[in-house]
Amino acid sequence: MIEVDGLTVIYGRGDAAVPAVAGLSLEVDSYELVSIVGPSGCGKTTLLFALDGLISPTAGKIRIHGEEVRGVRRDVALILQDAGLLPWKTVRANAELSLRIQGRKETATKVLADLGLAGFEKRFPSELSEGMKRRVGIARALALQPRVMLMDEPTANLDSITREHIQNLILGLWWEMGFTGTLVTHDIEEAVFLGKRILVLSARPARVVEVIENPGMGEPGYRGTPEFTAQVAHLRQVLGGNGP
Amino acid sequence: MRESWKMVLRYLGAMALIAAVWAGASWLLQAVRGREILPTPWETAAAAGETLSVLAAALGTSALRFLIALAVAFLLGLPLGLAIGFESKLDRYLSPLIYLLYPMPPVALLLFLYLAFGLGEVVRLVVVVMALFFQIVVAAQGAAKYVVPSHSTAIRAAGATRRQVYRHVVLPATLPSVLTAARVSVGLGITMLYIAETKLGVLLGPGSGLGRFIEYYTFRGDIALAGVVGLALLGLLFYVVLELLERVLCRWKFVGARGGT
Repeated sequence: MIEVDGLTVIYGRGDAAVPAVAGLSLEVDSYELVSIVGPSGCGKTTLLFALDGLISPTAGKIRIHGEEVRGVRRDVALILQDAGLLPWKTVRANAELSLRIQGRKETATKVLADLGLAGFEKRFPSELSEGMKRRVGIARALALQPRVMLMDEPTANLDSITREHIQNLILGLWWEMGFTGTLVTHDIEEAVFLGKRILVLSARPARVVEVIENPGMGEPGYRGTPEFTAQVAHLRQVLGGNGP
Repeated sequence: MRESWKMVLRYLGAMALIAAVWAGASWLLQAVRGREILPTPWETAAAAGETLSVLAAALGTSALRFLIALAVAFLLGLPLGLAIGFESKLDRYLSPLIYLLYPMPPVALLLFLYLAFGLGEVVRLVVVVMALFFQIVVAAQGAAKYVVPSHSTAIRAAGATRRQVYRHVVLPATLPSVLTAARVSVGLGITMLYIAETKLGVLLGPGSGLGRFIEYYTFRGDIALAGVVGLALLGLLFYVVLELLERVLCRWKFVGARGGT
């Protein structure tokens, strides 16, 4: 379970201070997948970095499973925008990077195979397609067997077919592994497809302005339903009313 | 494998071309000035054969000296350059210092270096190290400044320590540019080696370095020229070694996109 209470993050000091997040509160239940949308540059990534413990809050509290977050936790994994692969490491080394950083001996062999990357372990990222790179980024997070998964626009800049593949993959993994997930996206359809609840953020500094319940979510077939279309239209309207 | 044979052939072709131009220049100078100015390639080769053991000793000593200087310059310059480039605080305070010292030629300080270190082996190494050190510091600093933020975020997100960030991100990200800079600096390094071995090697025999060899045989043009060829080969050797090192250590730079789904 993730609890955020009055989170404020301010970059810089004095006259140069830029508030990225202002008094934001939210809750994500255990095993819940929540999507977070908002205008670009509104502080979504800052929120995610704070949840991961990469950034310390200027004010407010973040608790994961009841414990206050003070630095990076081993049971929390972050999937970065553009996967964050290191070009000088092979697929295997990239997938096992977080494990090694934490001094863990497990391998990513099974995770790579599950994500259809068997046989590519010795390749370098420059030899992979964009979709494969994202899967390696996901493999790196899954290898940690996290209880909480934080995702920062995992399908940004992908073509629409690959994007749907990755979205279905995330949905399947959520069912299979039962993690608590937070997905930041600027893609309206993705937010509806992958969020049991959808949190709509304001323009910078970020606050939660609306929470949309999305009970129909959870099946790959949801995309084709009238309910999905209606939710997408609704979310588009909410976002239109809150941003430029 | 076939590619490398082709490369060897290209180098042999280049050598033949240089020898031909060299022979032409010798002949032309002799025709214009009426006496031998530049010994021909074959005269030089014969002279090299005549002094082969001394020449080989001089080449070996120079190569070892250069190798040690290069290693020391890397060991001192790489960590310093990476830290200055990557830590913005260090960058602010140390960059002006580096930039002020960087253009200063160590040759201009030979007298003081001699007074400080005497005429032993150390002073010759110091001169070469000084030249290479700044090249490596500046290259490492420049490359470390532009490490892609998402790369360091990627491992910080897993809880990496500062040491791990350097080991997994900063060092591998900058190594290609640092090795390229080192390769470019080989020419400068060889020049400094020559100066160190002549100006600070007056007490040595001809076998104690190519610079000393060339100076020792000042009045035997053909033998001295064989020493110059030795210096050129020494430069080529280190150039090739550094390039091979880059191909082995930075293998990722040399793979192309192969596609996939």
